[in-house]
Amino acid sequence: MVVPLISIILLCPLAAFAIFGLLGLAKRSFPRQDYLSTAAMLVGFACSLLLLREVVPNPEAHTVKWISLGSLTFPMGFYLDSVTVIMLIVVTLVSSLVHIFSMGYMHGDPRYPRFFAYLSLFSFSMLFLVVSDNLLGIYIGWELVGLCSYLLIGFWFEKDSAANACKKAFLTTRVGDVGMFIGMMMLFTKFKTLSLYGEGGIFALATSLNTGDMVWLSIAGVLIFCGAVGKSAQVPLHTWLPDAMEGPTPVSALIHAATMVAAGVYLTARMFPILTETSSLVIAYIGGITAIVAATIAIVRFDIKRVLAYSTVSQLGYMMLGIGVGSYVAGLFHLTTHAFFKALLFLGSGSVIHAFHAMHAHAHGDEHDHADKDHNGHDHAHGDKDSHEHEHEHGDHDLVHAHGSEIPPDQDMRNMGGLRHKMPITFVTMLIATLSISGVPFVFSGFWSKDAILGGVLERAMEWNSVHHYLLFGIALLAAGITAFYMFRLIFMTFFGEPRNQEMHNMAHESPLSMTVPLLILAVLSFPVVNKLWFNKDYVKPPEQPHLHAPQHAYVSPDSKTDKAGFALSLFGVSEAVAAEETGHDTHADGEHHGHSPAHNIAMVLSICVAGLGILFSWLFYHRRTLSAESVANSFRPLYNLFWHKYYFDEFYDGVLVAVTVWKARLFAQFDGSVVDGIVNGVGVVTRDILAAFTGAFDNRVVDGIVNRVAQVTWAVGGRIRRIQTGAIQTYLFVVLAGIVLLILIFRAL
Amino acid sequence: MLLSLMIFVPLLGMVVVLLLPRESEELVKRVTLLFTLIPLVLAVALFISYNRSTAGTQYVVSIPWIQAFNIQYHIGIDGLSVTLLLLTALLGPICVIASWRNIEKGIKAYMALFLLLETGMLGFFAALDLFLFYVFFELTLLPMYFLIGVWGGPRREYAAIKFFLYTLFGSVLMLVAMIAVYLNSGEPGLRTFDIPTLITLASTEGHALNNLNFQIWVFLGFFIGFAVKVPIFPFHTWLPDAHVEAPTAISVILAGILLKMGTYGLVRVNMAMFPQGLDHFTNGIGFWGNSLALLGFINIVYGSFCALAQTDFKKLVAYSSIGHMGFVILGLAARNSEGITGAILQMFNHGVISAMLFLLVGVLYDRAHHREINGFGGLGSKMPVYTGITTLAFMASLGLPGLSGFVGEALSLLGAYDKFKLLTILSTIGIVVGAAYFLWTLQRVFLGNLNPKYEALPEINGREILTLVPLGILTIVLGVWPNFAIDMFRESVTNLIDVLNAI
Repeated sequence: MVVPLISIILLCPLAAFAIFGLLGLAKRSFPRQDYLSTAAMLVGFACSLLLLREVVPNPEAHTVKWISLGSLTFPMGFYLDSVTVIMLIVVTLVSSLVHIFSMGYMHGDPRYPRFFAYLSLFSFSMLFLVVSDNLLGIYIGWELVGLCSYLLIGFWFEKDSAANACKKAFLTTRVGDVGMFIGMMMLFTKFKTLSLYGEGGIFALATSLNTGDMVWLSIAGVLIFCGAVGKSAQVPLHTWLPDAMEGPTPVSALIHAATMVAAGVYLTARMFPILTETSSLVIAYIGGITAIVAATIAIVRFDIKRVLAYSTVSQLGYMMLGIGVGSYVAGLFHLTTHAFFKALLFLGSGSVIHAFHAMHAHAHGDEHDHADKDHNGHDHAHGDKDSHEHEHEHGDHDLVHAHGSEIPPDQDMRNMGGLRHKMPITFVTMLIATLSISGVPFVFSGFWSKDAILGGVLERAMEWNSVHHYLLFGIALLAAGITAFYMFRLIFMTFFGEPRNQEMHNMAHESPLSMTVPLLILAVLSFPVVNKLWFNKDYVKPPEQPHLHAPQHAYVSPDSKTDKAGFALSLFGVSEAVAAEETGHDTHADGEHHGHSPAHNIAMVLSICVAGLGILFSWLFYHRRTLSAESVANSFRPLYNLFWHKYYFDEFYDGVLVAVTVWKARLFAQFDGSVVDGIVNGVGVVTRDILAAFTGAFDNRVVDGIVNRVAQVTWAVGGRIRRIQTGAIQTYLFVVLAGIVLLILIFRAL
Repeated sequence: MLLSLMIFVPLLGMVVVLLLPRESEELVKRVTLLFTLIPLVLAVALFISYNRSTAGTQYVVSIPWIQAFNIQYHIGIDGLSVTLLLLTALLGPICVIASWRNIEKGIKAYMALFLLLETGMLGFFAALDLFLFYVFFELTLLPMYFLIGVWGGPRREYAAIKFFLYTLFGSVLMLVAMIAVYLNSGEPGLRTFDIPTLITLASTEGHALNNLNFQIWVFLGFFIGFAVKVPIFPFHTWLPDAHVEAPTAISVILAGILLKMGTYGLVRVNMAMFPQGLDHFTNGIGFWGNSLALLGFINIVYGSFCALAQTDFKKLVAYSSIGHMGFVILGLAARNSEGITGAILQMFNHGVISAMLFLLVGVLYDRAHHREINGFGGLGSKMPVYTGITTLAFMASLGLPGLSGFVGEALSLLGAYDKFKLLTILSTIGIVVGAAYFLWTLQRVFLGNLNPKYEALPEINGREILTLVPLGILTIVLGVWPNFAIDMFRESVTNLIDVLNAI
C-alpha cells in the first residue's frame, strides 16, 4: 500500500499543475483551477493519514534505477519512516489549509488560476523532497521548491520590489545549494553512491570510516549544511527571506514559514548519522546566532509581515540549534509545531491585511497600475509606487514615529491598533499562536518544542561540560525572551489600544469563512496535539550518530539518572511523553543518562521566566506605555541602528558582493572584446598582409575579400549579394580541396 | 541503406528545390519541410531499432570510394552518433518552420543551402572513415557561410568570414594531423583512413601509431580543429558574432548541432583514437595533466561571466553556450563513466535547450526588431505563454533539476570531482553566475511594469509554439527520465572507457 499511496500523494498536485500548464499552451485555463488544486491537496492529506498506520514498523526504501551507467547506478525512490510520514501530514495539512485560505484571499486576482497551479507545483516539489531516499532526489526537490518560491514571490511581478525579491531569493539560496552540491560530490567520490539508506547507502558505508576521516567528514557535513543555510535562511544567507514577504501572504505562510524554509532543518536532520562533533558544533552555532540576530532585528520592524519573517528566521535557527546539539526529536518537533503556529500567524496577518484592502482600494483606487482590467482590488500591486523602497534606504528612524511610507500601509502596524473588536476570530487565533510561539507554559505546543530544544542544549552543555554549549544555551534563552517580547509587541500594536488610523479602522472587517476556518483549525493545532506522536519512542526513533564523540573533558553526572519530571507535566498528560523522549535518547547515548535530566527542569524554569519577562516588558512598553520605546531606543542608539539596519548584511551584499561580480563580468566581457578578439583580428590582418606579399596578383581577389571583411569591421551593406565574395569563397573551397589532394600526393610520393 | 538514405535525402531535396520555380515560395517551403521530415522519420526509426545492448557500430555500410588512397565510404552508428543524428534530424524541420515567415529574400536559395547543410551534418555524425569525416566536416562550412553572410544581420559579412576563417584555420591543422595519421598507419598500399582500423592499430603494441609523442602531436592537431568548433577558449570569439548576425534558424543549427560537431570529434577521434595523447592531457601530474580540465573550467567561468555582462539577448545566449560547453569538456576530461555520460548528455541537452533559447530570442526579435535586454520590461503580463516557455528554457539552461540541463551538468561535475577537485569546485561558480544572468534577464525583459512601447505586442503564435513544444517535451522527459537517452550510449561509453583504461 505504501508505494501506491505515495504515488497518489505526489501525482495529484503534479497533475493539477500539469493541467494548468498544458491548457496554458493553448491559451486556456481550467474553469476551476482552485478546486482542482485544493482537491489534489486534500486527497494527499487523506493518503498521508492512511500512511500513518502503514509505515511504523519497518522503515524501508522503494527505489527504481533512475540513471544507470556501466558500473554505477543512481537510484531514485522513496524512504518512509515515521519522520517522513509526520512531515507528509504537516505539509499536506498546511498546504490544504493555505489553499482554502487563498480562495478567499486571492479572490479576484487576475492571475487567480495560476496562483493555485503554482501552489500545486510547490506542494508536489516539497513532498518529493520529503520522501526522497537519496541526496540526488532531495536536491531535485530542493531546487524545485526554490523555483516555486521564485515564481510565487514574484507572483505580483509588476512590483519592482517583488521582481527584485524573487531574484534575490533564488540566487541567495543557490549559493548555498552549490555548497551542498560540492558536499554531494565529496560523498559521491568517496562512496560511489548518493543513496542514504540500506547496506550500500552512505550512512552504512560511513560507519566504517576511521578517525582519520573525521576532518573530511566534517567538511562534507558542513558543505551539505550550506544548502540548509540558504534554504532555511540561516545567517549569513538569511537576507532573502524577509524580502520574500513581497509574495502574497498565503505563500509566506506555506512556503516561507511552514514548509520550504523548514526543508533545511529536515535535510540537516536527515544527515544526522554522519554529523561529527565539529559539524554539529558549526550547525549549533549557526542556528544559535541566527536565532538571536533575527530576533533582535524583529524587535524594531513595523511591517507586520517582516516581524513574522524575522521571527521565522529566528525559529529556524532554534531548530538548527536543536539538531546541532543532538536533539533530533526536539528539532523536528519544533519544526512541526512551528509549521502550525507560524502558518497561523501569517494567515492571521493576511486576514488583517485583507481587512484593510477594501479601504485601501477605495482610498487609492486610482493608483492601480495593473495591466489587466478585471481585477477588483485584491491586488497588492497597487500603491507600490510610494512603498517599494527598502526600509534600509531610510536613515534615522524613530522607533514609533518613523517617517516615510516605505511599508505598504496595509501592512504597517503603525496604522493598526484596536482591531480585536473588529476581527475577533483573527485576534483570538493569532493570540493563541503568539502564546504558543512565546513559550507560554504547558497548554501550548510551542512551549514544549522550544523547551525540548533549550533542555537539549543545556543537557549537552552539562554532559560535555562544554563552554560552547553553555554559551549557546545563554543565546537561545535570550532569544526566547526577545521572541516573547516582539510577538506581544505585534499583538499589542495590532489588536489593542486605540485605532491609530481611524479611516482605515472604520473600513476593517472580519474575513470571510474560507479564511477564518483555516485559522481556527490551525489554532487548534497550536495546542499540544502532535506531541504524543513525536514522543512515542516506538514511533520516532532518533538515528544514531556513530561519528559524534563526546570530548575528553565530558562530564557525565551519576545524578542525572534521577527522574524529576515536573508535576505540572502530568497534569497535561505529557510527562510520560517527555520522559519517553529521554529514554529514547538513552538507547543511543549508551546509557549515559536516564530519565528526565535536571537540565530539562532547569531549562524549563528559565524559559518560563524569560518568556514571562518578555511578555511583561512588551506589555509595559506597548500596552501600559509606562516605558517609552522611543527613549530606550535613544539611549541605545548605536545598538538600535544596528538592529534597524539588519546588521548591514544587505548593504554588504549589494555594495560589495554584487558590485564586484558585475564589475568582474564587465571586465571579462571587455577583455573578450578587446584583447582576445583583438588578437584574432590582428592575426587576421597580419596573415592577410603576409599572404598578400607572397601571393601577389594570383590571389588578389581572394585576399581582398578577407581584407574587406576582416579589416573593415563596420562594413555593412544592404541586402545585395555580392558576386565577388561568392567567388572568393568558392575559390577558397577549391584551394582547400586542391590542397588536400596535393598534400596526399606529396606524402604518397615520399 | 537506411542510414545512407537519411544522409542523402536532404541533398536530393536540395536538387528538387533548385528545380522549383523561384516564384512559388510556399511550395519551396513545403518541399523543404518534407525533405527534412523524412530524415526525422528515419532517425526515429533508427532510434527505435538501434540495439542498445551492444557497443558495436550498427547499420554499417562500407564501399570503396577512392581506391588509390584506400578511402572508403564507410558509415555506421554507435550510441553517441545515433543520439546526435536524432538531434540533427529533429532540429531540421523545426528550423524550416522557424524560417517560414522571417526569411524575406531568396527563400529558394536559403532552403537549398539549408538542405545541403543538413546532409553535411548528418553525414558527419555517421562517417567512420577519417577522410569522409573530414569531407562532411568541410561540407557544413560552405552553406553555413552563405546562410550567415547573405541572410544575416547588419554585420553579417564580417561574422561570416570570421566564422569561415576560424574554422578553416582549425581544419587545416586537423588535415595535417589526419594525413600524418594516414602516413603512419602502415606500409604504402596498406595505409588507411578507416576509423575502427586506426583505433585498433593505435593500441597495437609496437605500431607506429602507438607512440606517445606521435599521439600528443596528432591529438593537438585534431584538438585545435575541434576546439574552434566547440568553441573552447581562446578560439571562441567567432561564436558571439556569428550568432548575433545569423538568422534565428541558423543560430539554432549553429548552437544545436555545429558546436556538437566539435565535441563529437573530440570523443570519436581524440579520445578513442589517441588514448595516450588524451592521457597526457588529462591524467599526468602537473600542468599538462590538468590542461583539458582547465580549459573546461575556463569555458564555464569565462563564458558565464561574459554572459552576465551582455545586454544583447542573443549575445547573452551565445556566451552562455560557451559556458555550457565547458561542462562537456570538463566531463570528458574526467574520463570516467559519470563524466563521459554527463558530457554526452550535456551535448544533447545543450543542443535542445540552446535551440529553444535561440528560437525564443527570434520570437521576440521578430516582434520588437531589437534584442536589447534593457529595452523591454514587463512583458510577462502581456505575453504569458511566451513568458512561461521562456522561463522553462531558462530554468533548463541554468540547470534546474527535473529538467534535462541538470543531469548532464551534475554528472559531468560528479565525474570531474573524482580527478580534478579544485577545478571542479571552482567550476561551480558557473552554476551561480548562470542562474544570475538568466534571472536578471528574466527580470529585465518580463518582470516589472509593462514598457508602454510594447502594449500592442502580440502573443507567441501557434507556428512558433509548434517549434518549441517538441524541444520543451524533450527537456522535461530527459530531465525526469535520463535513462531514456543514456540507454542509447551506455555500452558505447563503457567500451570507450575500456579503451582508455587499456593503455
